[in-house]
Amino acid sequence: MITAPQLEIAVLLLGMAILMFEAFATRVDKRVLAFAAIVGLALILIASFFVSPTPSPDRATGLWNFYTADKLSVFFKQFALLTTIFVLIMMIDYAPVVRASFPGTTDGLGEFFSVPIFTCVGLMYLVSAVDFIFIFVSLELVTVSFYVLVSFTRKNPVTLEAGVKYLVLSALSTAFLVYGIAWIFGATGQTNLQRITEALANPNTDHSAALLGVVLVLVALGFKIAAVPFQIWVPDVYQGAPTPVTAYLSVGSKAAGFVVLLRVLRPFVTLPQMQRLLVLIALLTLIYGNLAALPQGNLKRLLAYSSIAHSGYLLIGVVCLDGNAVVFYLAAYFLMTLLSFAVLVIVAQQTGEQISDFDGLAKRSPFLAFAMLIGMVSLAGVPFTAGFLGKFFIFYAAILQRQIALVVIGVITVGCGFYYYLKVVRAMYWQPANKAEDIPISGLSRLAISALIAATIWLGVYPQPILNMLKR
Amino acid sequence: MVTLGDYLIVSGILFAIGFAGVMLRRNLIVILMSLELMLNAANLSLVAFSRFRLQPSGLPDYNAQIFVFFIITVAAAEVALGLAILVALFRARQTTDVKDITQLRF
Repeated sequence: MITAPQLEIAVLLLGMAILMFEAFATRVDKRVLAFAAIVGLALILIASFFVSPTPSPDRATGLWNFYTADKLSVFFKQFALLTTIFVLIMMIDYAPVVRASFPGTTDGLGEFFSVPIFTCVGLMYLVSAVDFIFIFVSLELVTVSFYVLVSFTRKNPVTLEAGVKYLVLSALSTAFLVYGIAWIFGATGQTNLQRITEALANPNTDHSAALLGVVLVLVALGFKIAAVPFQIWVPDVYQGAPTPVTAYLSVGSKAAGFVVLLRVLRPFVTLPQMQRLLVLIALLTLIYGNLAALPQGNLKRLLAYSSIAHSGYLLIGVVCLDGNAVVFYLAAYFLMTLLSFAVLVIVAQQTGEQISDFDGLAKRSPFLAFAMLIGMVSLAGVPFTAGFLGKFFIFYAAILQRQIALVVIGVITVGCGFYYYLKVVRAMYWQPANKAEDIPISGLSRLAISALIAATIWLGVYPQPILNMLKR
Repeated sequence: MVTLGDYLIVSGILFAIGFAGVMLRRNLIVILMSLELMLNAANLSLVAFSRFRLQPSGLPDYNAQIFVFFIITVAAAEVALGLAILVALFRARQTTDVKDITQLRF
């Protein structure tokens, strides 16, 4: 029988093996490493379906003080593994750009393919963490490996600038996280979330100190999930980072941030101020993300603002404490975002990242244009796509909780979203092409994109499997 | 007698100085130093909380002190990478001033 901690150990060993192989195998085509990583992660993904969820007992000892293997965490371990596999597929397509930034050598590609595996370990630990110490360490494993990935093509000044901005603002959020944890420890004397809940139920606990602590922690998590007013880094870093890394940031890092947010907030919802604060953050995030996306001409930057907007919808689910709606939305968001980025990686190498570079894509590559179309309409929330049902469940949860302001602003901003997502569709289908030649796609990418298209539509028409998985 | 409050005030001041440094200074190396100051402010309050929360056995609550070791380790990793990125930036642009890295904008 496989237990959950073995999954992380397996991924860690895979990462180390690939890094070692990279160091000694100088003559091998480095893309072999990526294929090895994809196969290894896929095997671990299959193994993860044989893990039976075992939440930690109430009076846990040893590892189970820090670690839980409940069904939410097992689901998100699979989520992290799948994200990493798709990101590695995009990285293979992106390899020529990385190689061009290290002229004359093949250096760099091996690390480019192996660092994401360590990020994956961090994400997998993070979704299982139920103790602030463990949350901090695994969050830092994710963040530190992202420092490397974001500034990877360091000969490109724009990437380097994105790396510096990500470094400074992430480190700042880490400082807030640590200081917040210190105050929560000061108020409750505990770092385990379960015991913090018990301590907060005790009337002798200093609730104002705990509130200060949790607000500081919220600032730090706000950075990770790109909630207003902590979203400043998002557009610049998303635009400057290598495109597969941007996809990884916007899917993996954000999903893990939301899982941690759901876990961390649970002990503190009894504090009355928390709900009002979260409603305010959600409203600001919705409005800012959608309005700022309107004038964008660069598709990567557009997707950055769209990722802020989607954080707003996810925050509505968090305010209503509807874990299932949040998880379903994250699954939908995973499919449509990776789909858009997978097309962007391929097209951007031929033409560019501007929306005008997508002009006439339908003539040059009907397959890619169709994939982008599905991605965009799903992000906008057109019925029969995963994005629509995701928004539906979120708004349904908000209506049940009588959060009228959130629903009204949410629906208005969805309308706003239609404008900028369909701008891309218009460029692809109604504008004349700048160039005539076809765009080549590798077999692996074609397979990955087809799978994502199928899953996006399937989840929009028949969401029952995922819903059953969450209810179980 | 130094009380818990005194330690917390000092750590609050350190945190505020660090935060002001990150916000106001223009040199990236100074910004990194200010970030370290913020982390150390958190370490100071963790150790103070640990020292003043005695267990029934009369010993301090060591959980927080163990956490401090984790923070120190992670901060070292962060600085190592941060300086590497700064060196790359300096090679590319001959500057560590945040005013000069403004290619990405709205």
